[in-house]
Amino acid sequence: MIRAQRLVFCLMGILISGAALGQSGTGSPPVIPNTVSAINSAAPMSQRVVAYNIDAKYDAKTHSLDANETLVYHNLTGQPLDTFPFHLYLNGFQPNATWVRETKRDGTRDVSFEKWESNEFGADEIKSFEVVGQGDFTSRLQFVQPDDGNKDDRSVVQVHLDKPIPPDGFVEFNIKFHDQFPETLERTGWKHDFLLAGQWFPKVGVWWHGAWNCHQFHGATEFFADFGVYDVKVTVPQNEVVGGSGIEVSSVNNPDGTKTVTYHGDDIHDFAWTASPHYKIYNDTFQGSMGPVALRIMMQPAHWDQAERHARILKNTLDRFERWYGPYPYKTLTLVDPDVDSAAEGMEYPTFITGGTRWWVTGGLYFPEGVIEHEFGHQYWYGMVATNEFEDAWMDEGINSYTEVKVLGSILGPKTSVLNQWGVTAGDGEIQRLGYIAVADVDPIARNGWEYANYNSYGGVTYGKTAVVLLTLEGVIGEDTMQKAMHTYFMRYRFTHPTKEDFLKTIEEASGKDLRWYFNQAVYGTQVLDFAVMKAESVPADWYKEGSKEKKGETEYNTEVQIQRKGDFVFPVDVEVKFDNGEKVREHWNAQDRWVRYAYQKKAKVESVEIDPDHRIHIDRNNFNNSHTVEANTAPARKLVHYWTFICQFFAQALAWWLV
Amino acid sequence: MTGQTNLISAGASIAGRNKRYVIWFYLLNLALASLGTGAFSAQAHSIFDHSLYADKLLHGFDAAVYVEMLARPEFGPIQASNAPAMMFAVLFFLLTMLFLPGVLLSYSSDHRVPRDEFYRTCGRNVWRFVRLFLFFAIIAGPVAGILFGVQSALAKAADKNSYEKLPFFVQCACMAIIFLVMTAIRAWFDLAETDVVVSDQGAVRKSVAFGFRNMRRNLGRLLGSYVVIAIVAVAILAVGISLWEMIVPASSVLGAFIISQAILLLLLATRFWQRAAAVAFYVKQQAEIPVIEMPPFAPLSMPELPVAQPGSGT
Repeated sequence: MIRAQRLVFCLMGILISGAALGQSGTGSPPVIPNTVSAINSAAPMSQRVVAYNIDAKYDAKTHSLDANETLVYHNLTGQPLDTFPFHLYLNGFQPNATWVRETKRDGTRDVSFEKWESNEFGADEIKSFEVVGQGDFTSRLQFVQPDDGNKDDRSVVQVHLDKPIPPDGFVEFNIKFHDQFPETLERTGWKHDFLLAGQWFPKVGVWWHGAWNCHQFHGATEFFADFGVYDVKVTVPQNEVVGGSGIEVSSVNNPDGTKTVTYHGDDIHDFAWTASPHYKIYNDTFQGSMGPVALRIMMQPAHWDQAERHARILKNTLDRFERWYGPYPYKTLTLVDPDVDSAAEGMEYPTFITGGTRWWVTGGLYFPEGVIEHEFGHQYWYGMVATNEFEDAWMDEGINSYTEVKVLGSILGPKTSVLNQWGVTAGDGEIQRLGYIAVADVDPIARNGWEYANYNSYGGVTYGKTAVVLLTLEGVIGEDTMQKAMHTYFMRYRFTHPTKEDFLKTIEEASGKDLRWYFNQAVYGTQVLDFAVMKAESVPADWYKEGSKEKKGETEYNTEVQIQRKGDFVFPVDVEVKFDNGEKVREHWNAQDRWVRYAYQKKAKVESVEIDPDHRIHIDRNNFNNSHTVEANTAPARKLVHYWTFICQFFAQALAWWLV
Repeated sequence: MTGQTNLISAGASIAGRNKRYVIWFYLLNLALASLGTGAFSAQAHSIFDHSLYADKLLHGFDAAVYVEMLARPEFGPIQASNAPAMMFAVLFFLLTMLFLPGVLLSYSSDHRVPRDEFYRTCGRNVWRFVRLFLFFAIIAGPVAGILFGVQSALAKAADKNSYEKLPFFVQCACMAIIFLVMTAIRAWFDLAETDVVVSDQGAVRKSVAFGFRNMRRNLGRLLGSYVVIAIVAVAILAVGISLWEMIVPASSVLGAFIISQAILLLLLATRFWQRAAAVAFYVKQQAEIPVIEMPPFAPLSMPELPVAQPGSGT
């Protein structure tokens, strides 16, 4: 019965979609279709603001394309709109563009500009721009630079209409554009005969909090868009294997040696696609709570033996997200294994992600799993909970890094989720923490993505700090409560654009606690947390008596323990004092002062002191000084020194081997 | 093939008879490395010895904790621990150069070389070995530079191909060729060093020429021997590290020390084995130099001199 209902809805959706496609340019009023063919839902899941219809022809030799785009925009802002900004992000790959300036200044994940190469040039050029019913506006387009005033930046263009679009009204734009893809510097472009087409079409900004929100293309951060429907036709040479967001509707060979592949996406806010003659396809299915999800894994031939490994981590990740946070409603998920030199690894677009592996990756090196999990996580924290990545990057990358720690830990083990090879281990939580402690006091989490001190700070704070801040918060409110809060947040804000306060208030609501003391320091502040054991000492109570001998279990000792809060971050903490008779004493310190002293009189000496013995705090900058053993244990240092000695001896022998 | 086998076994025999040198050089290697790791040791002990957190490195090896230690300000800059290790590695190379002549003399002798002769040989050949090293640097440096340059260019070209494994295979092929060429040069100079010591050759250029001539004429035999011994060295390293991982518990500091030092001792032995093979080749070559038959000396006809009669003198 349910199936029959879905079938009827799907047929209706396809008919409406067809009507929408057919009405373009016919004079009939534009609408946003209510199609559901790409989702496992009988009704649209988002408030659809946009409908894109793009017909693109790709020239694989010149790495360029020409396209016609029709955009229907539904004015749900509650006020008349006469100005519309559009992203033209491929223009960011030009020598004086803001993306290149920021990247050259601050560095980014794959790029260091020593010199400008002509094949790195990218462009998104509007050939014609028509507003249906108002005429041609091509000559009236105006580049704007809302973030940095860089007049050479052409990544945002704006059009001012003659007639405003009334509240609840529709407007249709017909845009012809030409793309020149760059040889990938990052995110998008070509390498060898591989192409990843992301940020490739003129895309309208988001009306948010009473104003247009349409940022320039930055070295860090690039996503914020409205939900809607995408119908995209891509024409490529017939030898190309193509994948894209949404579902593949058809693939038709053309007489000229090309083929046209058609995609349709519902309730998504972006569209990306890829093409390469070399992909090998691995298909699988995940049985989701809303229906089956077709997994299409596009592997490089050299990685074919890892296809099953890719599918396994993808399905395990989907399973955790569905159980912990909420359902995945889309019918497809495409995982692309990009060309290894493409700098397009680890990217996220709706229902379409890129992984990243190497042919030599062994079973205990889990970076392919890490990338795939992380990029899939974006389907939730970006894809559905569509936060403003430019202004709240932590709500996208950071929350995703936190769930990455949880999901990978659940699948691969918390201590081994990054590396478990040759006796060497590393867990994702620790790796996130390393990223954080390197830049702990440089920037707050709550900051515009392009305003961080540098790319390292952006990465360390947005990804690492957010992850450890949320892990520590889990220690404050409890793991179950945190999971409940995350589930509530997802279900409440999916297919919307929540703010940072929406997230923080949801956690407070779920936990029933006022957590402002924590958020003010961890999210809005740059305070650093660092506890240390200042002193742990036992002195015989009768120390002043001459000739007295100490006897274990009989001699009475005065023990003093002092704990210091070295950083400015105030955080209540437990302290465990262990005595040499096995007795353990737990203290709780509110940490309001800079230090605290605990004194004991017992027939036992202090053996060790440990701050945060349950290891709930992940934001402490220095874990080494959180404990102190009275007796030195030299074994760990000796072990390391042996390793280092081995390396030095080996190096010296190698030098002598070849030189004499 | 028979000759090659003989060279390997002859080298093993010589090195085995003189294994005390391997032990000495190993102890020197260990002592210098221990000095070189002094700074690292002090830094690691200061951070770890009283912290429970360090247990993550004892019962296993948590890479994140190790990185965190390196990042601590109190650990200091990494160069502070790397620089002494580098310096003591260079010192090991210099001391090897200093004492190697005595070793080569012992290898070429059929009797145990007395200590004073050993040191006298070392002293007599210091400057000669320095000059030999300079010759080596002048020849091997540019050759290595060119080969690595070609490797880099080929790898760059291979990188343009979409077949991901191609650059790796190109690099591997280039590395194999570089290894063979550099090993041949090493064998050449090992012969030259042997000639300098055994024939007490002051003009090292003549020994370099001697080494080159013999290397060229016996390339397959010498290079084959060196490569086989090098493969043994690689096998020792691979098997040793595998055993280290498999049988030594993570928390066994002593176990790790013993197996790691056994690996290094055996690695050092393989290099001495190569040198012994070169000496065996040299000795055999010298023994095979044909003895030219000389005609018997004709008795000299000496004019008879008047013999002074006793008591006839002045």
